[in-house]
Amino acid sequence: MSSLTAETGLTPEAELLESHKKFMEDKSSSNFSSLNKIGAQQFEKLGYPNSKHEMFTFVNTKSVATGFVSAKGSEVNKGQIAEFVYSGCERSLVVLVDGQYRENLSDLSDLDNGVKLVSGEEALADSKIREYLESSVQDENDTFAAINAAFCQDGLFLDIPAKVVMQSTIQILAISSGANGENESSYPRVLVRVGDLAEAKIIVRYAGLKGNYFVNSVQDFLIGNGAGLGLVQVETDQKEARNFSKTRLILNRDSRFSGANVSYGSALTRCHLEARLKATGSEFRFNSVGVLEKKEQVHHYMRVYHEAAQCSSDMHFKNIVNDQSRSSVDGTVIVEQDAQLTNSDQLINNLLLSDEAHADSKPNLIINADDVKCTHGNTVGQIDEEQLFYLKARGLSEAIAKTLLTKSFAASIVETIEFPSVRKNVEETLLKKLEANDG
Amino acid sequence: MLDIKDLTGGFDGNEIVKGVSLKVNPGEIHAIMGPNGSGKSTLSKILAGHPVYEATGGTVTYKGKNLLEMDPEARALEGVFLGFQYPVEIPGVNNAEFLRMSYNALLVNRGEEEIDPLDFDEILDQKMKTVDMDPKYKDRFLNDGFSGGEKKKNEILQMAVLEPTLAILDETDSGLDIDALKTVANGVNRLFNKDRALIVITHYQRLLDYIKPHFVHVFSDGKIVETGGKELALDLEKNGYDKYIASGN
Ligand SMILES: Nc1ncnc2c1ncn2[C@@H]1O[C@H](COP(=O)(O)OP(=O)(O)OP(=O)(O)O)[C@@H](O)[C@H]1O
Ligand SMILES: [Mg+2]
Repeated sequence: MSSLTAETGLTPEAELLESHKKFMEDKSSSNFSSLNKIGAQQFEKLGYPNSKHEMFTFVNTKSVATGFVSAKGSEVNKGQIAEFVYSGCERSLVVLVDGQYRENLSDLSDLDNGVKLVSGEEALADSKIREYLESSVQDENDTFAAINAAFCQDGLFLDIPAKVVMQSTIQILAISSGANGENESSYPRVLVRVGDLAEAKIIVRYAGLKGNYFVNSVQDFLIGNGAGLGLVQVETDQKEARNFSKTRLILNRDSRFSGANVSYGSALTRCHLEARLKATGSEFRFNSVGVLEKKEQVHHYMRVYHEAAQCSSDMHFKNIVNDQSRSSVDGTVIVEQDAQLTNSDQLINNLLLSDEAHADSKPNLIINADDVKCTHGNTVGQIDEEQLFYLKARGLSEAIAKTLLTKSFAASIVETIEFPSVRKNVEETLLKKLEANDG
Repeated sequence: MLDIKDLTGGFDGNEIVKGVSLKVNPGEIHAIMGPNGSGKSTLSKILAGHPVYEATGGTVTYKGKNLLEMDPEARALEGVFLGFQYPVEIPGVNNAEFLRMSYNALLVNRGEEEIDPLDFDEILDQKMKTVDMDPKYKDRFLNDGFSGGEKKKNEILQMAVLEPTLAILDETDSGLDIDALKTVANGVNRLFNKDRALIVITHYQRLLDYIKPHFVHVFSDGKIVETGGKELALDLEKNGYDKYIASGN
């Protein structure tokens, strides 16, 4: 049985259902109403997970069972978000505040011809989109994604029509205002459709203005036949914040996905990535880097399904953990019976900078086809003494030498980030964190 | 410049260096030759301050200071340079950038300002020419995927850029073909002058045709067992170390 939350004495399940009931009574009916209902039903089926749940082995879910009070979506002005906008994306910028699409903060003037962007409320008027989302919630295995469906009221839908090769890079900026006090939750939802033979480049950035908010998002990316998507997700949240995201990728025939995830560190970040390689010839690449200090935590849960023949996947995670921070990667590649000639490589490398830091790795493979080439592996290491001595023997101080080696550990991932402004920010800000520890 | 007295030491309580005394004055080149496993590299690592290797007895004075008390980086900043027998590979660290940081560390230590990156690039290009290294090695990761010979050249490049007062070259000639050997020896000779000193550890007399030592020391079982002039190297090459090993046991 689940434990009771401190404030109400209810189980997290009861508390959530209670607050969902109120939420449904208070809100006026919208295109989201039926999704909200299905989300709550799915949540009831799944229940609230504790650490014995296989999807949350390394995650303290209690700390996000905090009343599920929806953020109101407060007023935020352009000045407040300017620092979170990557250079080059100023005129292809889509802003969500506490999950709600904000036209006044967004700037779509550089968006390529034909690319359509509508708010979630508008998108759900389309019955096909609604059916897709509702059926995906009915199949949902992640409680927090079901909770998102139960409470979300807006979001955005981006449609890149067939054959459009985007010149601009779209930045989706999901801001948590933290305006209405402690422990408020927001439920961003993003749906992106990349049409057949189209090419898209998207940056999703999470950022917060203040407080220990809980942002619980769901993102769907549908990649058409022969289409390509370059995506980077960057979590630059407030230090006390909690950030859970579920990203679902559907790859159709001969489609290509190249993705990166960068964690700047927060009280608790969890990224659930589900990729389905549905048709022959699709290609999935994913790199992830996290730099953590103090008590920060980042957890990755990844499932990659090879459902068709001749697809490839390549995943590489690197985590640098210092102080008492924790990271985990729980990644499984599932090769279905029909997925002959699958190529898959998964590698997890962790660098421990302190005795009290933790880095857990659970790379796994489930293979049901016989003609495949799959590898997986993981390493945990400390700074290499010989390398450190070499640098010091050339006059570099211990602190500088360590920073250089730690950065070099991250380099192979950082240099794969396709977006120069993101990469630059990672080099200048995230890797700076390593210097701050030099003492 | 360097005065080693009765130095003993090793790793994990294993005594490898068993009482070495050696005096090196400015303007001198010393060659150390000796069988595999006799402790030559261990001696050089104790001198450079490798944390795994510890001096257990004796003293080492460098420019009047107790060398053994200094951190490895402080020794480097004071002009001690160890050319490694086996330079480590450091993927992710840019070769030229690393060398610039190192160069700047020396400047700052002397109270000077850091060099403009473009000016450094010029110095680097010129030094790379002297060791016959292709400019493309600037953008490689430090020693990463370098062949044995390329690693040794890179060590000499670093020495040429950092211009140390005391260089200890541990088998820098191993793994070099004759042309590369000449180039490297040239680079070393170009740097050498009356204010500097050099210790070359080698197995091959051949190197000493190009880098002319003032003294040749025979190293066996952790000790210098014989000291002579250049002719000693020729004798060693002809007759081997047998008589020294026999006397050592
Ligand atoms: N870190 C270490 N761990 C274990 N053994 C070591 C270590 N360092 C040195 N030794 C041992 O100490 C002895 C001396 O090694 P050292 O490398 O100093 O010899 P050397 O004279 O440089 O030999 P070579 O001519 O082959 O380079 C050898 O037996 C070597 O195996
Ligand atoms: Mg040796």
